[in-house]
Amino acid sequence: MDQKNKNSKKPVYSKFSQQELPAWKPILTPGWVIASYITIGALFIPIGLLAWTASDSVVEIVDRYDEACVPDDFSKNPQSYIQNPNIKKTCTRSIKVPKKLVAPIFVYYQLENFYQNHRRFVKSRSDKQLRDVKAENDTKFCLPIAYDYDNKPIVPCGLIAWSLFNDTYKISTRGKDISIEKKGIAWKSDAKAKFGSNVYPKNFQKDGLIGGATLDESIPLSEQEDLMVWMRTAALPTFRKLYGKINTDIEAHDTIKVEIQNNYNTYKFGGRKKLVLSTTTWIGGKNDFVGMAYISVGGICLFMAINFILLYVFRPRRLGDPSYLSWNRHPIT
Amino acid sequence: MKGWRGSRQGGDSASSPVAVERSLTSSSSIRLGRVQPQAPGHRTVFCNDRDANHLAKYKGNAVSTTKYNVITFLPKGLYEQFRRVANLYFLTISCLSFTPVSPVSPITNVIPLSLVLFVSLVKEAFEDWKRLQNDMTINNSCVDVLQEQRWESIPWKKLQVGDIVRVKQDGFFPADLLLLASTNPDGVCYTETANLDGETNLKIRKALEKTWDYVAPEKASEFKGEIQCEQPNNSLYTFTGNLILQKQTIPIGPNQILLRGCNLRNTEYIVGAVIFTGHETKVMMNAMNVPSKRSTLERKLDKVIATLFGVLLCMCLIGAIGSAVFVNKKYHYLELWISGDSQQFNPRNRFVVFVLSIFTLITLYSPIIPISLYVSIEMIKFIQSTKFINNDLHMYHSETNTPALARTSNLNEELGQVEYIFSDKTGTLTRNLMEFFKCSIGGETYGTGVTEIEMGAARRNGLNIKEKTASNTAREKGFNFDDARLMHGAWRNEPNPDMCKEFFRCLAICHTVLPEGEETPEKLRYQAASPDEAALVTAAKNFGFFFYRRTPTMIYVRESHVEKIGKVQDVTYEILNVLEFNSTRKRQSVVCRYGDGRLVLYCKGADTVIYERLASGNDELKKISREQLEQYGEAGLRTLCLAYRNLSPETYESWNEKFIQAKSSLRDRERKLDEVAELIEKDLTLIGCTAIEDKLQEGVPSCIETLSRAGIKIWVLTGDKLETAINIAYACKLINNDMKQFVISSETDAIREVESRGDQVEIAQFIRETVKNELQKCHEEAQHIVHGSTGQKLSLLIDGKCLMYALDPNLRSTLLSLSLSCSSVVCCRVSPLQKAQVTRLVRKGANKITLSIGDGANDVGMIQAAHVGVGISGMEGMQAVMASDFAIAQFRFLTDLLLVHGRWSYLRLCKVVSYFFYKNLTFTLTQFWYTFQTGYSGQRFYDDWFQSLYNVIFTALPVIIVGLLDKDVNASLSKKYPQLYKQGIDNAFFNWKVVGTLACFSVYQSVIVYNFAIASSTTGLTSAGKILGVWDISTAAFTCLVITVNLRLLMMCNTVTRWHSISVGGSILAWFIFIFIYSLVFVNKGTYFTIYVLMSTAYLYLLAILVPIVALLGDFLYQGAQRWFYPYDYQIVQEIHRHEPESIGAGLLEVGNQLTPEEERRYAFALLPRERSKHTGFAFDSPGYESFFATQQGVSAPQKPWDVIRRASMKPKSKSPRTSRH
Repeated sequence: MDQKNKNSKKPVYSKFSQQELPAWKPILTPGWVIASYITIGALFIPIGLLAWTASDSVVEIVDRYDEACVPDDFSKNPQSYIQNPNIKKTCTRSIKVPKKLVAPIFVYYQLENFYQNHRRFVKSRSDKQLRDVKAENDTKFCLPIAYDYDNKPIVPCGLIAWSLFNDTYKISTRGKDISIEKKGIAWKSDAKAKFGSNVYPKNFQKDGLIGGATLDESIPLSEQEDLMVWMRTAALPTFRKLYGKINTDIEAHDTIKVEIQNNYNTYKFGGRKKLVLSTTTWIGGKNDFVGMAYISVGGICLFMAINFILLYVFRPRRLGDPSYLSWNRHPIT
Repeated sequence: MKGWRGSRQGGDSASSPVAVERSLTSSSSIRLGRVQPQAPGHRTVFCNDRDANHLAKYKGNAVSTTKYNVITFLPKGLYEQFRRVANLYFLTISCLSFTPVSPVSPITNVIPLSLVLFVSLVKEAFEDWKRLQNDMTINNSCVDVLQEQRWESIPWKKLQVGDIVRVKQDGFFPADLLLLASTNPDGVCYTETANLDGETNLKIRKALEKTWDYVAPEKASEFKGEIQCEQPNNSLYTFTGNLILQKQTIPIGPNQILLRGCNLRNTEYIVGAVIFTGHETKVMMNAMNVPSKRSTLERKLDKVIATLFGVLLCMCLIGAIGSAVFVNKKYHYLELWISGDSQQFNPRNRFVVFVLSIFTLITLYSPIIPISLYVSIEMIKFIQSTKFINNDLHMYHSETNTPALARTSNLNEELGQVEYIFSDKTGTLTRNLMEFFKCSIGGETYGTGVTEIEMGAARRNGLNIKEKTASNTAREKGFNFDDARLMHGAWRNEPNPDMCKEFFRCLAICHTVLPEGEETPEKLRYQAASPDEAALVTAAKNFGFFFYRRTPTMIYVRESHVEKIGKVQDVTYEILNVLEFNSTRKRQSVVCRYGDGRLVLYCKGADTVIYERLASGNDELKKISREQLEQYGEAGLRTLCLAYRNLSPETYESWNEKFIQAKSSLRDRERKLDEVAELIEKDLTLIGCTAIEDKLQEGVPSCIETLSRAGIKIWVLTGDKLETAINIAYACKLINNDMKQFVISSETDAIREVESRGDQVEIAQFIRETVKNELQKCHEEAQHIVHGSTGQKLSLLIDGKCLMYALDPNLRSTLLSLSLSCSSVVCCRVSPLQKAQVTRLVRKGANKITLSIGDGANDVGMIQAAHVGVGISGMEGMQAVMASDFAIAQFRFLTDLLLVHGRWSYLRLCKVVSYFFYKNLTFTLTQFWYTFQTGYSGQRFYDDWFQSLYNVIFTALPVIIVGLLDKDVNASLSKKYPQLYKQGIDNAFFNWKVVGTLACFSVYQSVIVYNFAIASSTTGLTSAGKILGVWDISTAAFTCLVITVNLRLLMMCNTVTRWHSISVGGSILAWFIFIFIYSLVFVNKGTYFTIYVLMSTAYLYLLAILVPIVALLGDFLYQGAQRWFYPYDYQIVQEIHRHEPESIGAGLLEVGNQLTPEEERRYAFALLPRERSKHTGFAFDSPGYESFFATQQGVSAPQKPWDVIRRASMKPKSKSPRTSRH
């Protein structure tokens, strides 16, 4: 390197420009493949078992009541039943408890074929309005539920709020009423930040169009937990929403009586309504999928590992065998 | 093409093949660009009178090559950007996203688009800034201008038409000037036009006699001339005008014009008047808009993008149909019957729903087309070329101080797919440096050198020949001979001293070389039509026969050791006749008279023609000499036979009469001269033969061998004769004796016979028929051999004349199919145009990737015609380099350029492109699956910002790192296993199969990511019993997706450097940092607080581990199985060398720069100024050779030896342009 004169155009050496950066060069050798499969298998099966047992220990009771709650004489035409304000909508269901439900027991309603994730539905809300009393008129996306007939802004506006679920449940067992706690069912963050404590419902569910539940205009939105739960838009057309919490245990083999106010019209679009009682564990509610997925993936990996070992025994390929080079297989003529 | 032909002066009808032939060969003087029609009228320039010229409002001398200025930058730059379809697409999508049909907010598309535009614009601005700086340096360089009888130095940009300027030696002319005076006598100056046409030989310009005196400033200030001349135009070799001086009108032509861009040589200074300035100068008007080339991979990419667009449309169609079917009044909670803000969900008009949904979904699925792909590729390629190719120490040539230069960054990966290389010979494969290497005198062979070819052959045979250390014998350019038996008069002790004497005299006398400079052996330089001749005369000088002066009738030789050792005497020989060389004669003779009256004819020429003319007898000598000739030929040397004949005065006189007659005949002079020459060139006595080495560039044979092992086919396109070309082809290992050679030559007796009859139409028909038959015959034979099992390699040799007919549309396909089945093809005596035609033939006809490499102006056509043009830099003019895409200093650097950089670039870009394709498809497909569960409403799954940053932040950097740093095997292994290159030629890494496989994995992974996230969340609760909403699930899914695609990239890597880990880790981290901040700040978003809630669930962790592993399990299985059962070559090579540490660069680097003394000597010679004779043939032929002047004057006849001699007689001895330095 005697090029010391300044005119030299000799490139300056650097590991980067000469492309000689130190590098780890992993080669996917059979050993690596087999080892990876075994490792994954060995890790996943225990995790899966753990998750599955957790999920298995969850007691979940699901009761579909939409059809059963329609009186027999309306069974051909449930809509006329649900839309007739003069018919009493109370309906009582008895549910057997197969296993002991340990408090806290969560009460959910489950709707099916209800497209809460439809684009028109999802965007029909005003987060600003919900949060801030001053943004009352921010109803840009709320159409068609933005203003009442007097052209006053509806609070909370939009389709989502308007279609608030309005079935109610009363639960009793052994003749004793079990109280369902409605506090603390919404996300804390929602109550704190997304729904204003100085925003009160206004002009809601007024005039003509009947939506879902009405709201007590004296309670600020930040305390309307049913609304908050409802407005946390579900991802799929089948979804559950938390209705309330039961803080007492329910023994096994007891029969629960549920008195349902069957108000919500799912008959028109062929939806289904279910009542769900469930306990939780560290993994959440009952969810076999995760555990099963872990177990089966682990199983598949072990299976693959065995296959590759067999391959390795019966059809080995020597690493770096030059006879595999294409020009050795078909010499260039 | 028409422009080329039409530009010759008419006369012959264009249909006549001779006319065509001539116009083809004449195009060796390349025109830059097309000659534009001239503006009507003329301009009048008043010299030395700024006020008078002011009225004419001529443009200033400032030039600007920038594309933009401050005001036009934004509009013009944006316009340029939106000319790209991809950018336009995203602009449309962005506009769409402002309408109510859009499911996403505008930021989703606007942010990535703006980022992409921003990066592109910054790049444009940077490049333009560099151009601006370049312009400023030029505009501010100073020149002396006459002001008030003094030379004032002013910047170029202030120069005006009519100014009188002074340009000093080696200075550049600041504008187009009219040469007024020069410090040289006779108003002559020398210019170098390398910047214009790449020719480094000096050109003479001569001022008008009337203006010779205006040298001094006082005198020059009196000059008041008026120039009337043509309007500015771009024709470099024409100029018409008049100088009106003292009421006299003197015509001026190109000979008085000094063009901007040239520089002054060998002249102290000149004085000139400015005629054209700035952008009106001829060189600026010639500024070539080099058509930008796009790489094949990019064109393929366009197809993939188009396919993606098709997929996008299908997806939209499916969604839109679904949407139209879904909308129904029964979903009362959607209030669909109230048309409200839009018609989009109106069940009464399902067609409108369908149409609007298409737009909605296009906006939603738009990320399927990777927006940042093009800009990423550009960045990667830019860094690859500026940081890697330009800085590669392996491609730095220290002797000429030239690093490799990527002049475009578009074509890096194209270098990895080249299948055909078209190479020029002279200056590219060879150094155009002829060295006297060996000789045979009277059957005794002299010279101890070993050629590179011999060494290569010996090495192949397992012999280890140590190169003999260079002895201290004084050797010089053109003379690489070492044998003590001949040097310093030692030849007197040889068995045949008389023969030696004849041999040396023949060398010293029989030539057309001109001596220039001081008459001492050290300082005198020989000007020869071909370097071969110079080498021979130099050899004679070294043997003690120093030819030092020539007059039209005499040759002066200073002979040493003739009488006795050490004695030096000056001898003169009278040259009576010169029977010059031409390609049919293949010999050259001189009749000379010794001082003592002895009459001798010395003759040198090709062995075949000399042997025919030898006197009978002495068969032993002939046989031995012939064997030696064959040996020389095998060693790759160029041979000549030397012979003489003693003439009696009577014989000579009678012959000379005929000769004078022939010489003065007006018709068929050349033919008659040839016939007369035949009469005296007979009964010759063989003296011996010479062997000249046409020096190959360093490392050419091994480079060619490596390249051909890589599956690259090399064609040599040369202006040389067939024999020379074959010789070089052997020397370069392109052809060997095991090959079947097809020779299609116009130098056959049959053709010659027809040609001698002189009927052009008949000649054309005859040659066409012959070529057709030959082609078909060869083709059949080739097919037979190819389909046979012998595995014999084929080679084709064809000359320019036959090629002209073979390129005829009727025969083209046969030619193509024949040449494609050959592993090497040599085209000789081809014109620059034909070079380009052949290149285009393979490029278009065979659809293969081609590369052209050359060094001279005559290679420009083929360099531009090929996919990749490579220029040899550092030695010659700039023309080839200016037209090229890559410039390297040596042919052998092609190995690095192709096998290392090209291959890596190809591999990397394939990875980058397929990864982009994969990651965006996967992302969009998850979105697509969601559409099915939202009533086809086009509800987005991810938050706007997730989608917009996915491309530009969360997955942007790692792929660029891979595009820069990934390498399968290191550089030395790439060269050790050149066969690895084949996969690039076969395009094994980016074809529809690869894309299809990727698409399958994309579908699989998107299904896994989407469904696992959904399935585990439907009943998944937080342990506090709360349910996850759509934004929570999508955040979790997006987390899985980011992790998956980033890890997937790691799985694609062959090497993992620190930067890989940092970028992949960083990208995943960037996502988390982003979401932590984002979900905290934006209260109005659905994603508010989601990540914090998710972090408190087991759900997120279980999913984040499960999903990437399951998603990548497929790839893992595929990769494992692929490697096991169908390993790629590079994988095997990786395995073979898996235990070797990464070679430490520094040690490797030294190899390239350590020179043996022998090499150093070679380089020293290579650096000497060289004779510029592009086409040197077997002996000293110069077919198609045209001097700059000949072209300029419209003379198309090649320069003849007698021209050289005539010039010699005209020129004063001491004034040699080359050596004089005042």
